[in-house]
Amino acid sequence: MIFSRVAWKLLPAAPAFVILTAWFVYWLVVRPPPSVIPSIADVVRTGAELAFGGRLLGDFIASMGRLLGGVAFGIATGMIMGFVAGVCRPVATFLNPLVVFFNAISGIVWLPLVIGWLGVGNALATFLIWNTVFFIIFQNTVLGIQLVPEVLEQGVRALGGGRWETIRTVTLPGALPYILSGVRSGLGFGWRALIAAELVGATTGLGQLIFSGSEYHRADIIIFGALLIGAIAMLMDRWLLAPIERRTVVRWGLVAASRGR
Amino acid sequence: MSRLRVLLPFGLLIAFWWAIKSGFDISDKLLVAPPQVWSSFRVLIGHGILAEYVSTSLSMIGIATLVSFAIGVPLGFAVGTNRYAARALEGFLRYLQGISGIAWLPLAILWFGFTHTTTLAIVIYTLIVPIIFNTMTGVRAIPENYILALQSLGASRLRIVTDVYFPGALPSIVVGTRLGMGYGWRALIASEMLVRQGGLGDLIFGARTFGQIDRIMVGMVIIGTLYIVVDRLLVQPVETMTLARWGVLRK
Repeated sequence: MIFSRVAWKLLPAAPAFVILTAWFVYWLVVRPPPSVIPSIADVVRTGAELAFGGRLLGDFIASMGRLLGGVAFGIATGMIMGFVAGVCRPVATFLNPLVVFFNAISGIVWLPLVIGWLGVGNALATFLIWNTVFFIIFQNTVLGIQLVPEVLEQGVRALGGGRWETIRTVTLPGALPYILSGVRSGLGFGWRALIAAELVGATTGLGQLIFSGSEYHRADIIIFGALLIGAIAMLMDRWLLAPIERRTVVRWGLVAASRGR
Repeated sequence: MSRLRVLLPFGLLIAFWWAIKSGFDISDKLLVAPPQVWSSFRVLIGHGILAEYVSTSLSMIGIATLVSFAIGVPLGFAVGTNRYAARALEGFLRYLQGISGIAWLPLAILWFGFTHTTTLAIVIYTLIVPIIFNTMTGVRAIPENYILALQSLGASRLRIVTDVYFPGALPSIVVGTRLGMGYGWRALIASEMLVRQGGLGDLIFGARTFGQIDRIMVGMVIIGTLYIVVDRLLVQPVETMTLARWGVLRK
């Protein structure tokens, strides 16, 4: 009984355990060249070297700065535009075809064009993240505002509330859960866009770290970097966004919290 | 009326773009005027170049979708019907979702070189995770009573799979596939940019090397249009259909 309970607890670690074992055995038996498959020890050592050598911290800060800048800008512009479109229907009708089209080419597709405008660096990466995040926030804001039951707005107006007061007390809080879901998935997409943008469009950052790994045939750097990228994404979602969503969506939302994506 | 609704915004956008281009006298190295894009489009069409790039990209995403579907759906079923497997893999799959396919691109280049295999590996990885994940959640959302009911009526295991699991999970599978194709398309373009073995990503990134802004813009329009056509005309109807037919089970 106790055994099975412990096994149940340990089960989520099983895939990592299986992969590490297979990797270890493969490496022992086949002895592949380290530029193709490094040993686990190599990856750990490289990780420690990068972490204590200071390079990793610099790349991490560079990536985070771009992410924050792009996401903040995306949230601000997406919410403002989404708010205007949500409150004023003709604007939404007018913008809709453009949003569908530009959403389809959002993010990395802009890289070849915008690299000529902004050059390689922070501005380019931030633009690509903004471009990815904007549409998610915009669409969620419009949806959230349009889905606020009109009865509630009419209620406040019937009691003498002005247009602005109605928006402040009913429309915005009503739309907030949708906007925050948008923020959550926007950050996830922004993170992917960042890594893609940094592969070619930057000289620092975690994306550049793994890309330089392929130039110098350092599979250990790439594997360590990719695992780290996944870990950061997971921690951001778990510690930052899921709690925010729980507090707001579950509290004010008309729907249950969306399952993580 | 509805045609006007679509054309008017784009018309205004093109007019705006043209006005900026000629008003500020922007260099052709940064932005070109709409007619140049149009003539570049006609050149690319005329020589069959565009068709070649498009067919490379489309066949890539097509193959990747088929492979991911063929592997991901059975795997998702296996994981979803077994609660031990589900517990073991859920966190792992979530973690993998945080590592975008493009982050594995450098490793894939080391393993497979600058080839189509590299691009395919990246796109399949990007596509398969949401498919497995959604198949799994779809299977697990099926009320157990449905299965128990069929079992008590003497249905075989196969019968339960075909009559309960498959239709029950189908809407979720379709949603996962659609999501995956969206992610996969973007990963495909990004991968083609770096691998440079044909495809629309190669078209726009290659054009940059020669400063052919007109080609880049043609490529961007094609990428967007193809995505909308595939998503709206092919995948969305399937999704609506399955949701309407079997979607009840999700609630």
